[in-house]
Amino acid sequence: MSRSTLAGRVLAAVLSASLVGLFVLPLVALFFYAGWGGISFALGSGGFRTSIEFTLLASGLAVAIGLLTGVPLGYVLARYRFWGKGLVESIVTIPVVVPHLVVGIALLLLFAPTSPLGAFTASLGIPIFDAIWGVVLVMVYVGASYVVLTSELAFRAVDDEVLEAARSLGAGPGEAFATVTLPAAARGILTGALLMWARGVSEVGGFLILAVAINPSIPWNGPVTQPASVWIYGYWGIDPAAAAGASAVLVLVALAIFLGVRILDRSGLSWIRGGWFS
Amino acid sequence: MSDLEVVGVRAMRGAFRLGPVRLEVPAGTATVLLGPSGAGKTTLLRALAGFLPLTEGSVRVDGAAVERLPPERRGFGFVPPNLGLFPQRRVRENVRYPLALRGASDAAEKTTAWVARFGLETLADRFPNELSSGQRQRVAMARAMAAEPRVLLWDEPLAALDVESRDTLVRLLRDLLESERIPLLLVTHDPATAFALASRVVVLHGGRVRVDRTPDALAGGPLDRFLARFLGYENLFSPEELTGARASSLGARLASWSGEDGLAVPPDALSWRAGPGGTHEARVAALRWTAAGWVVALRQGSLTFHTTAPGGVPGVRVGDVVSVEVDAAHVKALEGLPGEDAS
Repeated sequence: MSRSTLAGRVLAAVLSASLVGLFVLPLVALFFYAGWGGISFALGSGGFRTSIEFTLLASGLAVAIGLLTGVPLGYVLARYRFWGKGLVESIVTIPVVVPHLVVGIALLLLFAPTSPLGAFTASLGIPIFDAIWGVVLVMVYVGASYVVLTSELAFRAVDDEVLEAARSLGAGPGEAFATVTLPAAARGILTGALLMWARGVSEVGGFLILAVAINPSIPWNGPVTQPASVWIYGYWGIDPAAAAGASAVLVLVALAIFLGVRILDRSGLSWIRGGWFS
Repeated sequence: MSDLEVVGVRAMRGAFRLGPVRLEVPAGTATVLLGPSGAGKTTLLRALAGFLPLTEGSVRVDGAAVERLPPERRGFGFVPPNLGLFPQRRVRENVRYPLALRGASDAAEKTTAWVARFGLETLADRFPNELSSGQRQRVAMARAMAAEPRVLLWDEPLAALDVESRDTLVRLLRDLLESERIPLLLVTHDPATAFALASRVVVLHGGRVRVDRTPDALAGGPLDRFLARFLGYENLFSPEELTGARASSLGARLASWSGEDGLAVPPDALSWRAGPGGTHEARVAALRWTAAGWVVALRQGSLTFHTTAPGGVPGVRVGDVVSVEVDAAHVKALEGLPGEDAS
């Protein structure tokens, strides 16, 4: 190996290790700072536990809505050419670049109880301000782009020849979509859903404006609470060790869900990739 | 048992116009589609399978028009060039797919039977990306047949296969034609496949049928340069090349034999010996060893001929002068083939 090649490899290794270290070290610091005391305090706190339950419910609803709307949009963008497609693709990426505090303000202006739209949704039994639907709305806004973008990529990767083979084997357009396209794109869609979920759970700025203290409303019938990230933000000024402990618990919950989905993806969800009737 | 009739079919793909195309493929026979790249072979298969709308004409199976039916209701087993195997399904699941689609109660038994018929038992639990090209072709064939098609359309089934795999597939296809009595229309660039399988050979050029003959008639009849190249003729010269070589003795002689589309000079039309003094003189331009023996490239003026070495040993070096004789009985004048009536 020449000296220049060796130097190049060492440089690449150092740069890569720096980034990996940057990813890991803050979490190590967090766990050290929190200690068992901080973590046990968070686990013992009824308020925090409630905020975690609330966050999981809201993020689950948000991901469901994101999948319901984002997957069809991803499919349309991947498979069809139409006037204004470039504009739609640009719009889909807007939430990725808009500061999240701004997202909260913009959504508040649109859905404030005194606004026409806010009054309308409230009249339908779907309050937005300081309600679970506000949290879901923020999560969908900041995260659904990931479902659209990963779905689009996944659908684009499905070979036209495979679809034509399915059609000639007797599958109608809907059957070909359900048995070939969707299973082939499942992993990409799942990745998008995970990214969306993670993005929603880690959101703070939008919640602080639109939904900082959540009142009971369908489907949340628990006590007044906050999204977990807002609870941690609020506690940071009162008891940093407790906030760090709660942060550590939130990280563990997120890692457990990521790991669980990946394990499910490798085993239990094989029926999706293999098709619904095989 | 069914017959395929293609009657005056026209279709468009972008700026390319296909047709009119007329051909018939009786049950239990194979018709091979030939043609240079861009001739419309794949476009024709996709139009017949229902993936490209016809602008005119009719596609009939046993006399019943199917051109208005969607692909899934035509009963055409269409195998695209890259086979279209489902990458996330195992071999057995691929074969089972058409049976499961129509809810066949005996899907498991039939799947097992087709898997066995194509020798896929030991591969049944593998995914397509774990198979060789030949094995993947057999899976595509088994899956297509599991759908019980009335017509089989196959685009380049034997491309990129080794000789053994190709022979195996040709044998399987011949068995299928005999046992299932369905018509097979396939695109291939391989003359061995065409002659081993085809009852008729159809040549497309510019979207239209130029030739529709039996393989024997194809080999014995008039040829243009494309067909001569397909049939393995070597030393093909265009009229322009021959006209440009008239200054040389060999060029002048060959130009006088040229047809409308030039001339083919097979190696057995040439004889040569080392040293000057013959009717024509040429120089050795290259010597190359192949599995079939020595190939000697002889050059006179602007013309280069590839031929064999007498006695299997060249006995000459590059740059040597050799004497060359040409046997008029073995050269083949190439004709511009008229577009055959396809409407």
